[in-house]
Amino acid sequence: MASLSDPHAPESALESAETEASQSKAPKSKARGLFSSAGVSIAIAFTALRTNLMRSLLTMLGVMIGVFAVTLAVAVGNGASEAVTETINRFGSNMAILVAAPDSGDNGPPRNTGVRGRLTQRDLRAIEAEVPNIRAVAPLLIQQVDVVVSGATVSTEAVGTTVGYGFVTSQVADAGRYITQADIRSAARVVVLGRTVAENLFGEFDPIGQNVRINSVPFNVIGLLEAKGSTLGDDQDDTIILPISTMRQRFVGDNLPGPDDLQLAFVAFRQDASLNRGKKDIVAVLKDRYRVKPGDVQPFTVRTTEEFVEQSNFVTGILQAVLVSIASISLLVGGIGIMNIMLVSVTERTREIGLRMALGARRSDILLQFLIEAAVLCVLGGTVGLILAWSSGVALEAYADFPVPVGLVTALGAIVFSGFIGLLFGGYPAYRASQLSPIEALRTE
Amino acid sequence: MAAASRPLTDAGERPLVETRGLVKTYELGGETIHAVNDVSLAIHRGEYVAIMGASGSGKSTFMNMIGCLDVPSQGTVLINGTPTENMTSDELAALRNQNIGFVFQQFNLLARTTSIDNVAVPLIYAGLDVATRRARATAKLIAMGLGERLLNTPAKLSGGQQQRVAIARALVTEPLILLADEPTGALDTRTSEDIMAIFEQLNADGITVIVVTHEDEIAQHAKRRIEFRDGKVIEDHAVENRIIAAPREEVSA
Repeated sequence: MASLSDPHAPESALESAETEASQSKAPKSKARGLFSSAGVSIAIAFTALRTNLMRSLLTMLGVMIGVFAVTLAVAVGNGASEAVTETINRFGSNMAILVAAPDSGDNGPPRNTGVRGRLTQRDLRAIEAEVPNIRAVAPLLIQQVDVVVSGATVSTEAVGTTVGYGFVTSQVADAGRYITQADIRSAARVVVLGRTVAENLFGEFDPIGQNVRINSVPFNVIGLLEAKGSTLGDDQDDTIILPISTMRQRFVGDNLPGPDDLQLAFVAFRQDASLNRGKKDIVAVLKDRYRVKPGDVQPFTVRTTEEFVEQSNFVTGILQAVLVSIASISLLVGGIGIMNIMLVSVTERTREIGLRMALGARRSDILLQFLIEAAVLCVLGGTVGLILAWSSGVALEAYADFPVPVGLVTALGAIVFSGFIGLLFGGYPAYRASQLSPIEALRTE
Repeated sequence: MAAASRPLTDAGERPLVETRGLVKTYELGGETIHAVNDVSLAIHRGEYVAIMGASGSGKSTFMNMIGCLDVPSQGTVLINGTPTENMTSDELAALRNQNIGFVFQQFNLLARTTSIDNVAVPLIYAGLDVATRRARATAKLIAMGLGERLLNTPAKLSGGQQQRVAIARALVTEPLILLADEPTGALDTRTSEDIMAIFEQLNADGITVIVVTHEDEIAQHAKRRIEFRDGKVIEDHAVENRIIAAPREEVSA
C-alpha cells in the first residue's frame, strides 16, 4: 500500500512500479499462514451447523452410530482379551500345565495321533526333584459328578488333587480346612466345596461337618473354598476338591491306563523364573522318562499359561478385527453422509463462497473453512458416539458380567479418528468449493 | 481517509486502473460471443466513473475483469501499473482484499451475521487479529452512520442500511478503488440518493469510485461517463451538469 500512495513513485517506469507493488503486497499475503483463519472457520462452521440444525444433527447421527459401533467393537475385543488373561491369572500365573495326551508339536490342542497319552504321579515327583525354581506342583484327576444332599442335587466338576493344588491356584479354604496329606494317605471321603456348590446345596446353612453323597458315595464336608468369582460366564466357584487317592479309588481309577496315572498336572514356577525355561526342563525330564526318540510323538503335552494367554489373545485379536471391520462399515456410511451433506452445503453456499473470494479469501481459506466444518460435524458426532459407547460399556459390565473397557486411548482414538473421517470425506466437497471461480460463484442465485 | 495526501485526477500520473485490448468471449451454442471486445482505457486516481450500458452491453463483464474477479480472454488489466494476467489466484485474492472494495446490487451480506462481523470479513483474509478486526469494522460502521446497528443481522436492517453495511465492508481494508455494480438497483429513489451522497463524499475524500449502472440519474452523479454497447466503448466523456447528492444524514467516511 505504501508504494501505491507514494507521490514520488516514478510516473512511467512500469517495471519499477511492478516490483514495488509486488514487493509491498506479496509479503503481506504470504506472511499470512494457512491457519490464521482457522479460529474464524470454526466459528463459521458452528454458525452453518446451527443454521441447518436438523440436517446437521442427522448427519452427525451417521458418524455417531459409526463411532459408537467401532468404539464398542474395540472395547469388546479388549474386554475379551482382558477377561481371558484375568481368568488365567486368577487361576494361577507362571504355571505349566501337563496333559496326559500325545503332543502334536504345535501350540494347538492335543490331537489324536494313535499314541496313548501318559502322565503319572511318579513323573511329577521326578519333575519336582529335577527341575529348578518350582513353587508347587499339583496332580489332577477331574470328573463331572453329582453331589446330593437331602433333596438337593448339584452337578459339578470334582477335582481330585493334593495339598499342592492350594498353592498352585493360590486358593485356600476360608472356612473349615483344606485336604491334607493324611486325607490323601487314607483316601478319606472328605470334600472341600466351592462357594457356588455350597450355596446350591445348603443355602444359608453351614455345610461344614455335613454329609453329602457324591455319585452315591457318602462324603464329609470339611471346608469351603474362598470365592474366586466368575469371568465370561465361567464360574470358578462351581467346583469341589477331593483327595486324589479317594478320587482314583472311587471314581476314575478304572478309566486310567495305570494305577499311578494322572489326567493333568500343574507345575507352578516362582514369579521371577522363566516359564519357557521351566517348560523345556519339564519336557526334558519327561522325554527321558518315556524314552522319546527324536521324531517320536511325545505321549504327554506341556503348555504354559503364557502360551494360553498368547493363544487367547490371538483368538480375541481375530474376533476384534472382525467386529471392528463390520462396525467400520457403519462409520463408512456415516462418512458418506458427511460427504453428501458437505456437497449440498457447498452448492447452497456457492454465492457466499464467491463473496468471500471477492473480499479476499484465498482458495486455501475456502478449503480450510469447509474442511473444518466437516471435521466439526464429525468430531461432535464422534464425541456423542463415544459417550454412548462408554455408557453401553458400563451397562454391559454391570448387567452382563462382561468387561467392556472404553479406555483413554480408545476414547482419544475415537475422537481423532472421527476428525480424520471429517477431513477424508469433507476433503472432496471442500476442494470443489475452493476451485470455484469467484465470478461464477457470485453469479449463482 | 487522509484525503490531502491523495491528489485528484492527474493525467500525467500512472493510471490506477488500465485496460489494454481487453476481450472476453463466451462460447454459446457453438457461437462465440464477444461480451467485451477490445477495450482499452485508463482510470486515474480520484476519478468518479459511471459505466453505462444496456443489459448485455458488456459493462458488468468489464467491471468483473477490472475487479480481478474474472479473467480476460485477451488483453491485460493493470492495477496501479501492475499487470494482473500472470498473477496466481492467491495474489489476485490479496490484490482484491487490499486494493478493491466491492458493492453489489443485492448487498451480499452474510445472513445471521451481525453488521460488525459482516464488515470484518475482509480483515479476516487480511490476517488481522480479532480485536483489530472488530475495532476497524466498528469505526467504519460508525462512519456510515450505523453506530446503533452494530449488532443487528441483515434481516433487522432496511435496504439502505444493508447497503451502507456493504459499503463499510468494501471500505474496511482502505482500498483505493470502490467498484459498485448497480448499487441502487434494489433501493427506492430516496435511499438511492443517500447512497450516492456517500459515494460523493468518498470520492471527495480521494477514493476512486467506479459505478456500473443502467440508470441515467445515477450516472449523472459521476464525473466521467463511459458507455458500453455490444462489448465496445461507444462514449467516454466528462459529465456535464453533474448532480451533487447532499447527505440526508450525517455520513462521513
